[in-house]
Amino acid sequence: MTSHRENNTQRIAALDARAEALGLRRGMGIAEARAMHPGIDVAEADPEADRKLLEGLADWCDRYTPLVALDGADGLFLDVTGCAHLFGGEKALLNDLMMRFFHQGFDVRAGLASTPGAAWAAARYATGHILAPGSERTFLARLPLSALRIDARTKTSLESVGLRTVGSIMDGPRAPLVRRFGAVLIERLDQALGRLEEAISPRLPVAPLSVERHLADPLSLIDDVERLVGLLAATLKVDLERREEGARALELLLFRVDGMVSRITVGTSRPIREPALVRRLFHERLAALGETIDAGYGFDLVRLSALSTALFDARQGDLAGAGSEEGEGLAILVDRVGARFGESAVLEPVPAASHVPERAVSVMPRARSETRKAAASGTGTGKARPAAERPIRLFRVPEPIEVPATEVPDGPPLNFRWRRAMHRVARAEGPERIAPEWWREGGADAPTRDYYRIEDADGRRYWLYRQGLYSAQAVPRWFMHGVFA
Amino acid sequence: MATSAVARDVVFALRRKIAKIEGTLAERLAPPSDGQSSAGQPVAGLLVRRNGLASARDFFLPTGVERLDEILGGGLPKAALTEIHGTETRNAGAAAGLTLCLVSHMLRERSRPQDLVLWVGTAEIFREAGFPHAPGLDRLFGLAPGQLLFAEAPKPADALWIAEEAARIDELAAVIVELRGNPRELDLTATRRLHRRAQDAGRPVFLLRHSAVPEPTAAPVRLVAAPAPAVLRRTVLGPLAGSIGPPAFAVEIGKSRTALPGSFILEWNPDARTLEPRRDAVPENRVAVVPPSRGRTHPQAAAGAVLAFRNAAEPAAGDQPPGEQHPAHRRARRAG
Repeated sequence: MTSHRENNTQRIAALDARAEALGLRRGMGIAEARAMHPGIDVAEADPEADRKLLEGLADWCDRYTPLVALDGADGLFLDVTGCAHLFGGEKALLNDLMMRFFHQGFDVRAGLASTPGAAWAAARYATGHILAPGSERTFLARLPLSALRIDARTKTSLESVGLRTVGSIMDGPRAPLVRRFGAVLIERLDQALGRLEEAISPRLPVAPLSVERHLADPLSLIDDVERLVGLLAATLKVDLERREEGARALELLLFRVDGMVSRITVGTSRPIREPALVRRLFHERLAALGETIDAGYGFDLVRLSALSTALFDARQGDLAGAGSEEGEGLAILVDRVGARFGESAVLEPVPAASHVPERAVSVMPRARSETRKAAASGTGTGKARPAAERPIRLFRVPEPIEVPATEVPDGPPLNFRWRRAMHRVARAEGPERIAPEWWREGGADAPTRDYYRIEDADGRRYWLYRQGLYSAQAVPRWFMHGVFA
Repeated sequence: MATSAVARDVVFALRRKIAKIEGTLAERLAPPSDGQSSAGQPVAGLLVRRNGLASARDFFLPTGVERLDEILGGGLPKAALTEIHGTETRNAGAAAGLTLCLVSHMLRERSRPQDLVLWVGTAEIFREAGFPHAPGLDRLFGLAPGQLLFAEAPKPADALWIAEEAARIDELAAVIVELRGNPRELDLTATRRLHRRAQDAGRPVFLLRHSAVPEPTAAPVRLVAAPAPAVLRRTVLGPLAGSIGPPAFAVEIGKSRTALPGSFILEWNPDARTLEPRRDAVPENRVAVVPPSRGRTHPQAAAGAVLAFRNAAEPAAGDQPPGEQHPAHRRARRAG
């Protein structure tokens, strides 16, 4: 039994069959229940965990249809339109679903109908029932008003005037009902009867293309999963070819026997459709995930979806068949490295119009380079060679150094301590004064930097800067920003 | 002269196969096409046959420094792993600089814009030694930002994996792997794998290592780079006092095929994109005041005659190596 706090009292939120048999009810105060039965076991309700469990179940229900929506805190909507025949009909689907849930240890009630409203009512008042299209009217007429998904207040006020079943309001005059009880009541009724279209909104975007394989014998070896991915990709290729598209993002769903679902996503830098390539990408991803993917008792359903697709520009290979891979090697490498270590593992420098050294170039993921080029095609950044000497390596965060003495207040240091080692300055060039970008936020107040090229006694060349100027109030700090060749 | 031409071919083919398996000097076993024996000249007269192209020039990457090329046996092997060691992490600028000098010098000859350079490093080294700064690389080495790719790997093993995979990509003209210390993953097997990949692809892989103890390696060449004080900037009025000129490196040969010792002070010429040996006394009247124009194929010759000027002290310093610097693995492999 779990409790929750409602109106400043601890009340029963949910209870099991044994507690119910003792005469306890939902909404009863905990103190009252304890007084009746001192031996009851009460735990605090955890709505967050319940929500997570429901989402996990929704993931699992993905095996029946991609359109799964959450309904409140305890329900799921599955839009099985066009999916039932894959499981041998509606009856077989419902039986399969209930049987699988039962074996996982859940007590589910399910109903199947042509409208979400009727299905909702069927699940709650006639579990396992399948409503034939057109029979909603007779089915709903016998049910109490709470079968209409209306709030408790409306229901109470309807009951107070003697309207207790759906049938009693179904044929009554609509205008007075709307005037007195609000438009929601009639809307719910119309939705349940199919007079009004109601769409369920799926939790996850539906992939444009997906292929799956149900397995009689669960797979538990990752190698087998990879092989299956290759087979699924071959099927997917046919679909992609028909659409003249290639996949930009692929998702692999592994449904474990015990209901756990793993989602593995890979992105590609250019549209792909070759099964061997898809398999290699997932090989890298699975290798990177390693132990995180726990096969447990095995996977009984594997699905490969193309989450996003793009136009595939088909190119003709030469007769020897060698030319087809031309120019694609690098893109494949970038994808494979990206699949293993994340998209930002392969970077390319993109020059930017800024004189502040750390902003003069930004490193961007190579995988995004095509979209970036498409976006920046109009601007055409002029290739300007930097006028001043710049270091070949720049520290991401300038490292503070200790400068005991300078020859003149605004001059280069005589020696400095960096990373606990003392360096004696042999020669210095500079300063090169780099002012902050005042047009940026906070840039106007930032101190200027005076950069010096320093060569120490051993010949190492550094790029140091002094932040700010000497004044009576403050002694400026020094930073190491880069190293020269 | 008992063996027929066919039998000799078979022997050569078998030798090549063995050499390929062993990862040894397959190129030395190739018969010269003009029929002359190359036994007398183990290096210079060699003909390399790779992908139908037969040329000794294709195989070696001359560094441009005569004495260094001589010691390396013709230059850096182009299709091979080359190790470049920096003695300390704070010398990362010099070690990376020397590597980039070699890459830039190599790309100078066949400069196609689609030739990319991939620089692989661990997150640790990019944090400790600084991330490559594209404007600086562009200015000093002529490597445009569009030519550079960086890969940041979480661990040394991952960096090696990326490098291995990248070594066979045709668009990459060179791959630089940067690691720090002596990671357990970087053993003889790992270097051999990299070396084999480089050999197969015909492109160089540079293994840049900082503060590492020399270990047995499959790389035919190991250079130890340290910073050297730069010369003064040259101006019309002579050297500018107190200025810092183009970068200079103190390069020591840790391992080479000829096993000859050598240490050099090399200077990088950013305009010509060449490495030059340090000349202590620069004759004022001989210096090209205006550097040859960059990016042109035929720069105009500097005025005046170029005289051979060899520093007498330089070879003498390198001829007699200290004995303890040559453990067994540094010795050159026996050919064939």
